[in-house]
Amino acid sequence: MELMSLLQDIQASAPAEWMRTSLKAMPLVEGVHVLAAATVFGTILIVDLRLLGLRDVRRAFTRVSDEMLRLTWAAFGLAVVTGALMFAANAGTYYSNTAFRLKMLALLAAGLNMAIFQHRTLRGVAAWDTQAMPPRVARVAGLLSILFWLSVIFLARWIGFTKGYDFAVPDDAEINFQF
Amino acid sequence: MMAFAAWLHATSFSQMIQSVRWIIPLLQSIHIVMIGIVFVSSVVIALHVLGRVRADDSFQAVWGRFAPWSRTALVVMLVTGLLLVVGEPEREFSALSFWIKMGLVAIGVTGTAAFGRRYGATPADSAHPYPAPARLAAVALIVLWVAVVLLGRAIAYDVEMWGAGVLPWN
Repeated sequence: MELMSLLQDIQASAPAEWMRTSLKAMPLVEGVHVLAAATVFGTILIVDLRLLGLRDVRRAFTRVSDEMLRLTWAAFGLAVVTGALMFAANAGTYYSNTAFRLKMLALLAAGLNMAIFQHRTLRGVAAWDTQAMPPRVARVAGLLSILFWLSVIFLARWIGFTKGYDFAVPDDAEINFQF
Repeated sequence: MMAFAAWLHATSFSQMIQSVRWIIPLLQSIHIVMIGIVFVSSVVIALHVLGRVRADDSFQAVWGRFAPWSRTALVVMLVTGLLLVVGEPEREFSALSFWIKMGLVAIGVTGTAAFGRRYGATPADSAHPYPAPARLAAVALIVLWVAVVLLGRAIAYDVEMWGAGVLPWN
């Protein structure tokens, strides 16, 4: 199957090989991934709380979001790069892992929610930018955003507890799989 | 130290945490969400001190908006962190990353509190631009929290990071 051979090619690539063989690559790349994900969540939460009319209500929505979303995108880029490296190292196992697939779906949902907000709701922002309480459609987008991103983080952590590894473990080896 | 870890591991509370499959990933996820709040709060405060974010606000306004969130998230992080230690004491106590992380967390918490006390007393509007020591301290706190997050992940890879037997009780 074409997809399987693509996954094998990814897994055989030089960055994937580096991830598997360099001792410190995995902990460092994973650490940066966690940091980037935490930053994405923390910055988006500030924007979402403003959308919900719960915090920063005296600041215009666009001022809050313009300042924060630059950080969000930078962190998101870092998360994509480090995430791609982690995926490449064990492409086959990630692909077949249910938690990973659900996480990708949650990411897609978060992205769609953001795209709809950007292209529809935000068009009329001038009318409510400085209002303490944004319109219902904006509040719903904010709430969904928090829920989707929380799901992304919870599902992501679940991957580490369910994916297993691509190599055979000797019977007498004691390995703690709860990374 | 490892005898204490073994005793803790054998307690019924620890056994309960270990036996339910989803407890540890759930605790870790909450822990990560909380570090997101603590880290980004520190980043916003630091960027404000550097004049990059909320430059029209006073330090008190920025501190008042973010410090309570950071404080609450820190408490939840401490609680989930403690439960993770009880659930997997050997994993934590045998990891050099864990001990360095704990030291840095202590410095980070006291440093942030001291920072708030020092500059929270500055009269509004008079703080821009902030003095060099304040800008330096703000950046240092960010570097410190970055290290805390990286070390947190490195606990799972202690031998790969530092080699075997680096702690006297291992």
